[in-house]
Amino acid sequence: MKNMKWAGFLTAALLGLSVTAHAADIDTSKRIRVAMVPKLVGISVFKANQKGAIAAAAKLNIDFLYTGPVTASAQGQVDVFNSLIARRFNVITTTSNNPTELAPALRRAMKQGIKVVSYDSDVAPDARDFFIQNTAYPAFGKALVDSVAKYIKPDAKIAILSSTPDATIQNEWIKALKAYMATAYPKMTIVTTQYGQSSVSQSLTAGLNILQAHPEVTGIIGPDAAALVGAAAAVQKLGLTGKVIVGGCSDPDAIRQYVKAGVIKETPLWDEVKEGELVMYVARLAYNNAIPRNGSFTAGDLGTFKVNDGVIIFSDPLIFNAQNIDNYHF
Amino acid sequence: MSNSVTARRSRSRFPLGGWESSLLVLFVLQVLASSFSIPGFFDSFSSWLGLTENFLPFGIVALGLSVVILTGGIDLSVGSTAGLGAIVMAELWLHLGMPIWIAVMIGVALGALVGLINGLIITRFNTEPLIATLATSFIYRSVGTALAGESPPSGFPDSFNALGQGAIGGLIPYQLILFSILAVLFALLMSRSAYGRKIVMVGYNGDAARYSGLRVGRIVTSAYVISGAMAALAGIVLAAYYSAVRPDMGDILLLTTITTVVLGGISIFGGEGSIGGVVIAVLLLGFLRQGMLIAGFSDMVTTMVTGAILLAAITIRNLLSGRGTGMALLVRRFRNLGRDKLTEATK
Repeated sequence: MKNMKWAGFLTAALLGLSVTAHAADIDTSKRIRVAMVPKLVGISVFKANQKGAIAAAAKLNIDFLYTGPVTASAQGQVDVFNSLIARRFNVITTTSNNPTELAPALRRAMKQGIKVVSYDSDVAPDARDFFIQNTAYPAFGKALVDSVAKYIKPDAKIAILSSTPDATIQNEWIKALKAYMATAYPKMTIVTTQYGQSSVSQSLTAGLNILQAHPEVTGIIGPDAAALVGAAAAVQKLGLTGKVIVGGCSDPDAIRQYVKAGVIKETPLWDEVKEGELVMYVARLAYNNAIPRNGSFTAGDLGTFKVNDGVIIFSDPLIFNAQNIDNYHF
Repeated sequence: MSNSVTARRSRSRFPLGGWESSLLVLFVLQVLASSFSIPGFFDSFSSWLGLTENFLPFGIVALGLSVVILTGGIDLSVGSTAGLGAIVMAELWLHLGMPIWIAVMIGVALGALVGLINGLIITRFNTEPLIATLATSFIYRSVGTALAGESPPSGFPDSFNALGQGAIGGLIPYQLILFSILAVLFALLMSRSAYGRKIVMVGYNGDAARYSGLRVGRIVTSAYVISGAMAALAGIVLAAYYSAVRPDMGDILLLTTITTVVLGGISIFGGEGSIGGVVIAVLLLGFLRQGMLIAGFSDMVTTMVTGAILLAAITIRNLLSGRGTGMALLVRRFRNLGRDKLTEATK
C-alpha cells in the first residue's frame, strides 16, 4: 500500500515536471502584439475571457490589447480589424458577430502575415488559422437537454428560446440537443422555438408568450445568455417556479438569483477565464508556427489539446448548480 | 423669402459658402495632422485612398438623405432599406440564378419603390416623416429578415466584390469612383437644375411653394424615392464590401449619415445647405474615424466623438442660422449692425 502511494506521488511529481518543461518549451523570446476583439465590449463573459488572457499574456511576452465595438455589429468589428491591420498587430483573436461579414477583412489580415485565431463563435474557416471551440457540440447539446429533462417527466412538452434565427452557435446547439433528445428522451417534444434577439427584455416578452400560449410546457431551454435570463424571469413573473423548469446556458453572474430561487436547476457553460488563457497560448504558438493543423499541442498548465483541421476544443461542459455557482464570478 | 435666399447665394462668388470652406480647411488640416502623427494612416497613396472603402457607403446614403432633409423631412428607414435592397439583390442572384448586375439594378429599383411608399404615406396621409419612416423602417427590416432566412447569402463573385473592395489599377477604389460620379450628379441637380431649386424652396417655406403653384406633394415624394434608391445602392456596395448580406447590415448607417448631412451644413429644418458641404463632411468624418481607429482609439471613443460632432454642428448651425432661437436673432442683429457700419464706412 505504502509503495502504491509513493508511486502515485512520484507520478504526480513527474507529471508536474513534464508540465513545467512543456511550458518552457514555448519560445517567448520575441515580444508580440496580440489583440482580442470580442463581439462587443462591456459583456461579462467576454471580460472573463479578457481576465484570463491578461494573465496568460504576461507569461507569454505578449503586448495585449482588448478592443471591440460598442454594439454587437460586424461592421464595428471590421472597423477594429482594419485598424489592427494598419497598426501591424501580429495576431488577431476574435469571437465573431456573424461568420460571413468578417471574412474579407480577416482574409486581408492573413494576406499581410497576421495570424487569426477565432474563439467562441467561428468565422468562415478560410478566414482564420485556428478556431477554439468552447465545447464539442454533441456534449453541449446533451448538457442542455439534461439541464431540464432530468427534472421533468420523460413525456413532457418543452419550448426553446434562442437568440436569433441565424445565430451559428445556437443553431448548432439546437441541432445537437434535438439529436440527443431523440435518443435519450424519445417521448419529449419541442412545441415551439422562439427568439429573443439576444436582448433580455425581448427574451422576457418571448418567454411570457411561450408560457401563455402553451400552458402545457413544463420546461424551457434557453441556449443563449439573454434568452435564459428572460425565460427564467418570465417563469418567476407568472409564479410558475417549480412547475416550469428553465435550463440553458449563461454566465453565472446573470443567473445566480434564479439558480438560488430554484427556477433554474443547473446550466452548462465552460470556464471563460481559462478559455481566455488558452486563446493567448494559441495566439503565441500560432505566431511561432508551433501548432499543427492536425495533431496536438501543450498550453502550459492548461494541459494538452487536440487540433483537428485547425479546430481546437477547449473543454467539456462545466455544470453550474446551486451548490457550486458561488465559486464562479463572471 | 426665396428672394432673400437666392440673393444670399448669388452674393458669394466662390462656389462654396462660408460653412463649406471652413469644413474644407478642417478636412485638409485633419488629413495632414493624421498623416504626420498616426503611423499607418498614410503608408502610401493607394492605402490612404483605400481607407475610403471603409466609409463611402455612408456617403452614398448621405447624398440621398440630403435631398430629403433639404425638403424639411427625414428618412429614418435608410438603414432598413439598405439591408432590404442588398438582401433582395442577393436572393435574386442566389435562388433565381439571375446575373448579379441585373439583380443589382432590381435591388436599387426596389429601394426607389420603398422610397416611393415612404413619400406617398407622408404626402397623401399627411404623416410626420419622422413617424412614417420610423414605422416603415420596422416593416422593411422585418421583410428583409424574413427574406434572408436562417443563413443569409454570402460569397458573391469576385467581379461583384470588386465594387466594395477593389481598385482600378490597385490605386483608385471603385467605391470612390462611384461616389465621385454620384456626388457631381447630386451637386449639379441640387444647385443647377429647376428641380433642385424646387426642393430647396419646398424645404424653406412649404406654404409659399404651394401658393406659388409648385406641386409640393410630388416634389417631396420624389425626394424619398431618391433617398430610397441611394440607400439600397449603399446596401449593395456594403454587400460587395463584406461579400455577404445581413438584414441588420444597414443599422449603423442611419445615425452617422444624419450626422454627416447636418455637419455638411444642411439645415435639419430644410431649405438650406449644399451637396458640396455634405461631400466634404463625408470625407472629414470618414477619415477622422479611420484615423482615430488606426491611432488605437476604441470604437467607444470614436462613436462618442461622432455624437459630440453632431451636437456641436447642430448648435453652431442654429446659432448662425437666420431662423431659430433668440440667440440666432441676436447674432443676426450683430451681423446686420456690422454690415451697416461697413456700408457707412464705404460711403
